[in-house]
Order: sequence, then structure tokens, then C-alpha cells
Amino acid sequence: MTNVFGKYVNYNTIIHRADPRLKIFCLIAFMVMCFLPYGNFMNTYAVLLILVLVIATLMIISKLSFLDFFKSLKFMWFMAIFLLIINVFIPYNGKTDLHEMIVFSNGYIIYWEGVMNTFMVLIRLIMMVALTMIFTATTTPMDITYGFEWLLYPLKLLKIPTQVVAMTMSLALRFIPTLLLEANRIMKAQKSRGVDYNRGLISRKIKSITTLIVPLLVSCFSISDDLSLAMNARGYDPYAKRTRYRVLTFKKADLFLIISILILLAGFITISVFANSVGINLLETIFREIPKGSTF
Amino acid sequence: MQIIVNNVSYTYNVNKLDNFEALKDISLSIEKGDFVALVGKTGSGKSTLIQTFNGLLQPTKGFTKIDEFIVTSDKKLKKKIFKEDDLIKKANKKAFLLRKKVGMVFQFPEYQLFEQTVLKDVMFGPLNFKVAPDIAKQRAIKSLNSVNIDESYFERSPFELSGGEKRRVAIAGVLASDPDILVLDEPTAGLDPNGKIEIMNLVKKIHNEGKTIILVTHDMDVVMNYANKVFVLNDSKLIDETTPVELFNTKDLSKLSLEIPTFYKVKNLLKNKGFAGNLEKIDTFDQLIDLIYEVKHD
Repeated sequence: MTNVFGKYVNYNTIIHRADPRLKIFCLIAFMVMCFLPYGNFMNTYAVLLILVLVIATLMIISKLSFLDFFKSLKFMWFMAIFLLIINVFIPYNGKTDLHEMIVFSNGYIIYWEGVMNTFMVLIRLIMMVALTMIFTATTTPMDITYGFEWLLYPLKLLKIPTQVVAMTMSLALRFIPTLLLEANRIMKAQKSRGVDYNRGLISRKIKSITTLIVPLLVSCFSISDDLSLAMNARGYDPYAKRTRYRVLTFKKADLFLIISILILLAGFITISVFANSVGINLLETIFREIPKGSTF
Repeated sequence: MQIIVNNVSYTYNVNKLDNFEALKDISLSIEKGDFVALVGKTGSGKSTLIQTFNGLLQPTKGFTKIDEFIVTSDKKLKKKIFKEDDLIKKANKKAFLLRKKVGMVFQFPEYQLFEQTVLKDVMFGPLNFKVAPDIAKQRAIKSLNSVNIDESYFERSPFELSGGEKRRVAIAGVLASDPDILVLDEPTAGLDPNGKIEIMNLVKKIHNEGKTIILVTHDMDVVMNYANKVFVLNDSKLIDETTPVELFNTKDLSKLSLEIPTFYKVKNLLKNKGFAGNLEKIDTFDQLIDLIYEVKHD
């Protein structure tokens, strides 16, 4: 419970030191790179491989443990099976130039494209998880909030109270450890009354989860009530002008970072444009030996 | 011996950077029918120790033995004990019954309430231990009566009760499982003086029924008035095993950050003001009153 992967860990690395506003921008830029269309499957896989390597390097730099990362991917199995079923069994009627994998006797065909699509989406999702985890493990919750507040600045011109949104966010983040602690305490009390959270049928499990959720909600309400009273008592006014204890500054390293991320983003967009509009096949352009048509 | 704690150590977050040894090589034993108080400053490991009694935490080294149940995370040790005694091995196959044997009342137990009605919530424990519904209901009513919650409350939601009532319902929820050993972690925290006396009288009553009571508390008046055995913990170690009288008469309490009970404060005051009588053997208010009476009439 104390060592959740993706929880902020205090190391002193380049990524930890970088400006949170910049890190949010980088996160978005990387996600865009992950989800750009790169033409045919071979192209996409080649580009995604490069991205995987980049992200793995980022993980090494920020001192994240790969073991913990793979452990946290357990829940992806559901997703993978779901995606596979959807992708394999949707009919590809009307599309030509597909590769048959299994042809059933009633004329239904499973295509290689379906399987390839699944893996592509899965790799993209795993990369998303990895990126988010790098972000949250290297940025304190407070910094994330500050970053978002700064990036939401344009909304202020539309009279949207961004500082209220940011305060709500930081309060929500503040409650995570409190709730974990509280949940732990309640679970212990209920275990002492004979609840088994690990075993049992589904119906029994649902019942045992209500024994956790109901008290958790009750205590959560009372804690947030106390918190709002305490904030009121200290004269919190959501619309007052606020100052910061920690002022975000843009350093030289950040400039270097933003230039490199922009170059990277531009590069990937270029590849995507060329792959889609011109229709080049990356592997075929690099290795001329591969005959046309053998790739997906 | 009903409870034997044998060289128990417990470390939080083993093999992690932020590991913390909360118990260091603790050995103690508690007899059936004892009223034991565990005292020590905050962070001394009291709560960790009591959680090993019903298997919520498993000692990283050593073992806790409650009747025939063995609690340890040391698999080799467990195997060895099982090999020596077949009876123990048989009993430990139904390890969940340990939770029935040891009732645990946590600090602020009112947070464990969740059902729609008071009666249902109190019945929840026995039902979990596979007691038939009608018997569970009987037991629930009996334990609710024993904590002075009358019939008019049975069908009400536990969330609309007052703080003290909630706590009594929660304690009834633990009692309904009919535990042999009752462990209470600061049951009087945050209650008014009347509520405190009520809860402690209830604990006394349960003790008189022949059950073992283990009480974690910071309230030395409670220790003095109710306990017959005291274990003092300090910095994850067991440093003393005494009776309350001995503890308050001979030990340096400020060193252990324990409060001096009201009676001993009065006694010290009398001593310092030059009271004529012999205060050495006086250990209750009644004896003190008799002594003052005697001195006055001499």
C-alpha cells in the first residue's frame, strides 16, 4: 500500500527537476506522437518501436523500476482480451487487400489485420500508461496542480475561475493518501469481524466491498467537512489574489528540453504526413530487398 | 497460557527503503481471565503488537500462539511447530476462526458501521463466522442489551446515533461473535467522563464473565482501577511486565512518558506536604480515607 507505482518518488534527475508546465506539455506531445497514424502496419510498428525505446530511456533516466511497471500492467489483460475480441470479430466487408488468417466453413473470415490492430492499440495504451507514470512519479502533486493552473490560464480570459479548479484538484490529490490510510483501517476492523476480502464468490465479494465503501464514504464526508471548516477558519477566499511559496521558473535546461521535444514532435508529424499522403513504406525505403506486398 | 508471544519482531515494509521495525524481539504471555493493560508512548508498538493477536499482521520473526492458533510469516518455523504437534496443525487449518476467538475493538470503532439498521450491523459478525441467522439475532440482541442499547434503537440507522451510542453499537458488533479474548485499542478515546465510565464498566462486566481482556490505553487511571497486569512498551521493545501497584509505586513514569494517575498525584501531594501517616502500603482511595481518618483521631 505504501509503495504504489506511479507515486511520486524523490530522486534528483533531469526529469524530476524539469518545469512541471513543460512536463505536462511533453506528456501531451508524446501522446500525440503515440496516436498519430503512420500508414500501413509495418510503418506503424517501426515508429512505435522507436517510441518504445524513447520511453524506456525516459524510464531509466527517471529511475523507475521496470519490474514495478510490468506488475502494474496486470489490469491490461482484460483490456487486451476485450480489444482482441472486438478487433478480430468485426466484419471487414467491402475492404479489399486484406490478409486472411482463418476462413471458417460458413464463409466468415478472420483477418491478420484484426490481430495486428489489437497489438497496435495495446502497445499504444501501454505507452500511455508508461508516460503517465513517468509524469506522476517525477512530479509532486503540488507541482502538477501548479502546472495545470498555469496552462489553464487562457480560460481565465473567458471568466472561468481556474484557481478554483486548481484548488479542487489539489484537494482531490491531497485526499488520496488519507483515503488509503482510512481504507486500510476500516479493512482491518472488518477483517476482525470475519470479512474475507480475498476469497469468496462474486456475490460475497460485493457484500464485503460494501462493508468497506460505506464507512469510507462516511468518514470521507466527515473529513472533507472538517477540512472545509478549517479552510474557512483560516480565511480562504477562492477569488482572492494568491501568492506562491514556490515560484515556477523556466531554466536553461527547460529551454533545451522544449526545443528537443518540439523537434521530436515535428519529426514524427513529418513521418506521419509522408507515410499517409505520399504512401511511402519506411522499411521498403530503407531496406530495398523487401518485396512490395509482403508487408501489411 | 492462553496467549504466548515468542520472540516476536515485526517490520513494516520489509525489503523496502522505508522499512521500520515496530516490534523488536518481544516475548510475553497472558493467562486466561487476565485483565492486561498495554501502555507506552505513541509509536512504541502497542497497536502493532495487538494486531498480531488475531493475525491481521503476521510477525516477521518469531510467533504468536493463541490457544492452538499459530500466527507467523516464518514458514519454516510454522512447519516445525506443526511437525511437533498434530493437534495444532489440525486447528490451524481453520485459521479464520482465530478472528472469532479474538475480538478486536479498534480505536474509534464507530467507523466500522455500515449496515442499514443497528441490529443488522451487530448480526454481521456472527453471520460471517457461519452462525445460523436466528442464533445470530439472539446473540446480537443479547450483546446490544449488554451495552445498554434498548429495543427502540434496533431498527434505526447506525449513522443517526450519537457518538457514544455509535461506539457502543460497534463494540456490541464485536461482542456478538462471542470472542474468548477481547482486545481494545483505546476504547475511551474522545469520550466524555460519563461515557468513559460506562465503557469501562462494560469491559469490567465482560471480564467478570471469564473473558481475557487486553487493553491498550494512555489513561493511567483506567490502568490503576481495572488492570491486574501491565506490560510497558518503549521504542518497539517490551521493557517491563508488572502489576499496576508496582508500576506506579516504583517506576519512573515520566521517563516512559506515562501520566501519573490521580490517586498517586494525591498521595505524592500528601507526602510532600508532610502528612503524618505511613503512606507506604496505601494503594486505593478507600485505604487512604481510612488512614486519614485514623491520623485525625490519633
